[in-house]
Amino acid sequence: MLKMHNIRKSYRTDTIETHALRDFSLQVNEGEFVSVTGPSGSGKTTFLNIAGLLETPTGGQYLLDGEDVSSLNDRDRSRLRNEKIGFIFQGFNLIPDLNLFDNIDVPLRYRGFNAKERKKRIEKVLEQVGLSARAKHLPAQLSGGQQQRVAIARALAGEPRFLLADEPTGNLDSLMARQVMELLEFINEWGTTIVMVTHDPDLARRAHRNIQIVDGQVSDLQHGTVGAAREIA
Amino acid sequence: MIGYYISLAMRSLRGTPILSTLMIAAIAVGVGACMTVLTLNYMMSQNALAHKDDVLYAVQLDGWDPNEAADTANELPWQLTYQDATALLRSDIPTRQVAMHRFGFTITLDESEMRPFTADARITTADFFGLFDVPFLFGGTWNADADFSPVQQVVLSKATNDKVFGGENSVGKTINLNGEPFTVVGIIDHWNPSPKVYDLNNNPFADSEEIYIPFGLHRKFEIYSWGNTNGWSHSNEEGYEGFLQGESVWVQYWVELDTAAQKEKYEEYLTGYIRQQKEQGRFQRPLKFALSKPSEWLVLNEVLRDDNRVLGWLSLAFLLVCVVNAVALLLAKFLRKAPEAGVRRALGASRNAIFIQHLIESSCIGVLGGLLGILLSLLGLGGVRQLAMGRIDQIASMDWLMVLAAIGLAVLASLLAGLYPAWRISRTNPSIYLKTQ
Repeated sequence: MLKMHNIRKSYRTDTIETHALRDFSLQVNEGEFVSVTGPSGSGKTTFLNIAGLLETPTGGQYLLDGEDVSSLNDRDRSRLRNEKIGFIFQGFNLIPDLNLFDNIDVPLRYRGFNAKERKKRIEKVLEQVGLSARAKHLPAQLSGGQQQRVAIARALAGEPRFLLADEPTGNLDSLMARQVMELLEFINEWGTTIVMVTHDPDLARRAHRNIQIVDGQVSDLQHGTVGAAREIA
Repeated sequence: MIGYYISLAMRSLRGTPILSTLMIAAIAVGVGACMTVLTLNYMMSQNALAHKDDVLYAVQLDGWDPNEAADTANELPWQLTYQDATALLRSDIPTRQVAMHRFGFTITLDESEMRPFTADARITTADFFGLFDVPFLFGGTWNADADFSPVQQVVLSKATNDKVFGGENSVGKTINLNGEPFTVVGIIDHWNPSPKVYDLNNNPFADSEEIYIPFGLHRKFEIYSWGNTNGWSHSNEEGYEGFLQGESVWVQYWVELDTAAQKEKYEEYLTGYIRQQKEQGRFQRPLKFALSKPSEWLVLNEVLRDDNRVLGWLSLAFLLVCVVNAVALLLAKFLRKAPEAGVRRALGASRNAIFIQHLIESSCIGVLGGLLGILLSLLGLGGVRQLAMGRIDQIASMDWLMVLAAIGLAVLASLLAGLYPAWRISRTNPSIYLKTQ
């Protein structure tokens, strides 16, 4: 599903060059639920951005579904992102002046679905996250947990095979966090591959496999059967 | 997607009403000022005879002062003397030819309570209507004999016919001009070319005349010109005959020459005529004449003056200043919405999609600014009309082409204004905003 080999990412200013990822290698298989942990500034989010095709690596090879995406142009990367990848963010990132229906509609618009198909998908995912009755509400009218469920619904509407979650429970209380986590596990059971960055060790343990990133490199494999990451690293 | 982008744009405009209003106002003021000046320039540079530009020619002959050239763009007097005009009228080379000048009459009607009024008149030859494609509502022109003999016939404009006869077919009826009875032979339909290409010596933006009288009536009524009369020597004869036979120029002259051969032949004829006049002691300057097409005639007469052109460029510069202001406002607005663009990028929007979305938002601002700009232009043109006290009513008005041009200019201005801000936001790294939003 996802295979990174010797990925490097550095940010350069006039005086300083920062290496966010160094010889970073990782493999995530179809249907896996992988948690990624590590201290702040270790490169978790950079990894997630590269995995989600929001940033390009400085070097190395990234295969997504067997396709080398390292050298794709912006249009092709956007298309792949739209078709194969769903994002869930810590801050929900809903568009504040669009209601729930229109927020979920955004990725479907870029996908080119017709109005009927979009409506069908939006209603389906809203039902899945239990917010059908709130379709016309604005994000600000919902609780944090509800907003994150909308964000999940938006990520799922395009039926991606790969879900990237960046601290999806970071802004939620424990009850809401548990509900969101259960929703993610449910989604994973239905076959969606999930990579979740988290600071919460309890949540990380609930994944099939935990990857720890330290100083831009995979440093440890806490549990799971085959150490794909370790093997490659 | 265009419809989706437009709906997003309108939502975005509603979301920031003050900023949006400022941007729309910036574009509107620029477009309004620019279109006011450009409309005046555009209307001034119209050629109502463009469809006959290849066959009509204004005739100029150089019979001016041997010691000093005429003070015109091509150093030829704009008009002809009466004696030259009547001589040229006898040529059978042109398909049509017109000698004419401006005049005025007081119109009265027998056994009518209508109050007398003064009407602008054109003393002209029978070909006037055919040569300038003047449409007739009723009747037609007078017989060509009236170009040389005193025939008291008149052609009325539609407005005059409406005023005097209530719009009915008045052909055959009689009206009094300066107390003399004239028989109506024709009523022309609405015809009001602007600028008045056929008579640029007087106000080129004045309305067309209200009545038209045969050229052969000069001696009978001792008709002088109400237009420009210029001279450089005194006539030997006294009185009105002296005026007619003098060297004063006051008759405008046009010919219709349908083919190149016809034009060449007419040029030979004019050359011969001038040589003949030289033998008689006239035309003492080097042999020179000009046949100018309507388009050339407009340029020669500087209907659109250089200062009008400069004003046009200045108005465009003002629009540019407004566009620069709009760029700053758009940049502020778009960058404030960078997090949303980041989310859209994460959800599958390409850089181009983000760029187009924001460029369409700029265009929407442009369309709204254009519509408001048109209103401001109309106000501006109204002000110009007030200042000119009715002398340029015809040109100080917008036609549909200029309305469309105003919207086009506004959209172009807003697209220019939106290019950089849209490019900036489309190039922004989305991950920055996704983490921090």
